[in-house]
Amino acid sequence: MRLTLQMLISHGRVARKMGLGPQSRINMLRNILTGLVRHERIETTRVRADEVRFYAEKLIDYAKKGDIDEKAMKMANFWLTEKDLVPKLFKVLAPRFEPHSNSYTRMVRIPNRHNLDRAKMAVLEYKGNPFPPLYPVKKDCELSLINQLLKGYREEREQQLAAKLQSQLK
Amino acid sequence: SVRSQRNAVFSREQARQRALYPRIEKIEVSMQGPGLDGTLLIMNRGMSTPLSCARHLTEHHVTNSALALVDGEPWPLHQPLTRSCSLTLLTFKSSDPTLVNQAYWRSCATLLGQVLETAFKDNFTVDLLSVPEVPVTSGAFCCDVVLDPQLDSWTPSEETLRSLTRAALQLIHKDLAWEPLEVTPSVALEVFSHSRCKQEEVEEKAAQNPKGTVTLYRCGDHVLLSAGPLVARTGLCSQYEVMAIHNLGQGPWGLHRRVQGLSLPLQLKGHHTVWRKLRQRAEKLVRTTKISVFYLTNSSKSSDIKAEGRGQLRGGGLLVFWGQWSCLDAGSK
Repeated sequence: MRLTLQMLISHGRVARKMGLGPQSRINMLRNILTGLVRHERIETTRVRADEVRFYAEKLIDYAKKGDIDEKAMKMANFWLTEKDLVPKLFKVLAPRFEPHSNSYTRMVRIPNRHNLDRAKMAVLEYKGNPFPPLYPVKKDCELSLINQLLKGYREEREQQLAAKLQSQLK
Repeated sequence: SVRSQRNAVFSREQARQRALYPRIEKIEVSMQGPGLDGTLLIMNRGMSTPLSCARHLTEHHVTNSALALVDGEPWPLHQPLTRSCSLTLLTFKSSDPTLVNQAYWRSCATLLGQVLETAFKDNFTVDLLSVPEVPVTSGAFCCDVVLDPQLDSWTPSEETLRSLTRAALQLIHKDLAWEPLEVTPSVALEVFSHSRCKQEEVEEKAAQNPKGTVTLYRCGDHVLLSAGPLVARTGLCSQYEVMAIHNLGQGPWGLHRRVQGLSLPLQLKGHHTVWRKLRQRAEKLVRTTKISVFYLTNSSKSSDIKAEGRGQLRGGGLLVFWGQWSCLDAGSK
């Protein structure tokens, strides 16, 4: 089920259970998050990807505070089990997401796993990764009719503004 | 009547051209395009059109293709193929739609001309002048027309434009095909025997064309003349509006009026906010290279409606250069 605030209010406890218990759940998420920071695009089950998303984005928010901040360094140290990824987090990922304020990750569902369990799978990635896009963004061709008309409209507006500024300056 | 006579001559010439191929000969057409490279189709010479090639492929190709490229040359969809060639079907969303855009603009202008021919009562004559080749970035397509001298003082109102728009939308709804026909200038002169300015246009186009022929198009029961290829059917346009009628001044045939319109095809529908902005721009007069300077007298109660462009020109005794026609004297009119 999608975890929402409304669900929390109406149904009470809606936290997911994973693994053997709460500690096991955090350890599992830590491992997945480490894999995500190392590879920037990973494939897991849908539920795990959904859970990790929240922690991945919170980790970036902490990394943005800078590695001088003690709390940020503690968080990074706890969540990343492979310690060579801590400088990568602060020096590569944090500056990459500096202009953005909210969504740093993208989750895309893929066909179910071919094992006996037929688990629902998903791909989780940090935006701005060097791999080819998951779904190619289809942009309308610049030369299509509607774009050419809008280009003419924009140019005319610019000309009018320039003429107005000139007349005002004089 | 004039229309039925033109229609009869067109049908006769079309039947004669079809009878040139009494026995069916086969040609090989190789298709180019995304997903189609190298597909070989065996079609009939003089009978199969690029549309029939599209029908061999999928419904998407039939409904979406607007123009065809035969060996790199723009070819109307309903014109029969005469030799083995390579064919590319162009849509509005293909990677280089400049040719399609120009053809669409031309077709919308010819549609406007057809609407104007039928709009007025029978006792008023309407003379369509040559459709000016306007680039798409100018914001509107134009149709130059000369109305009856009795209507020289007539000022078009908002409702006139709306009724013209409605007539155009009715034609679009009928989804008529633009049938092309390549004819010798003599046949074209016979078709337009009632209109002197059309005959001059035929001669001018025949002189410009390296082959010496003129292409006529028939839509419904109207025969029209066009400089270049037109799109396949009227049904390809979805949003169509006649925006404004501007007066261009006196010319050799009478008071020239420029009727402007805006249109978008079915596959590139515009959101109403975008449409409104484009409409505002389309109301302004579109200047073409033929008319270098406008002639506006100080005392003229010019009947342009929504003519914002007037403020930029200070009129009064300027010469009008009208392409190959002679310069008009500044003192007249």
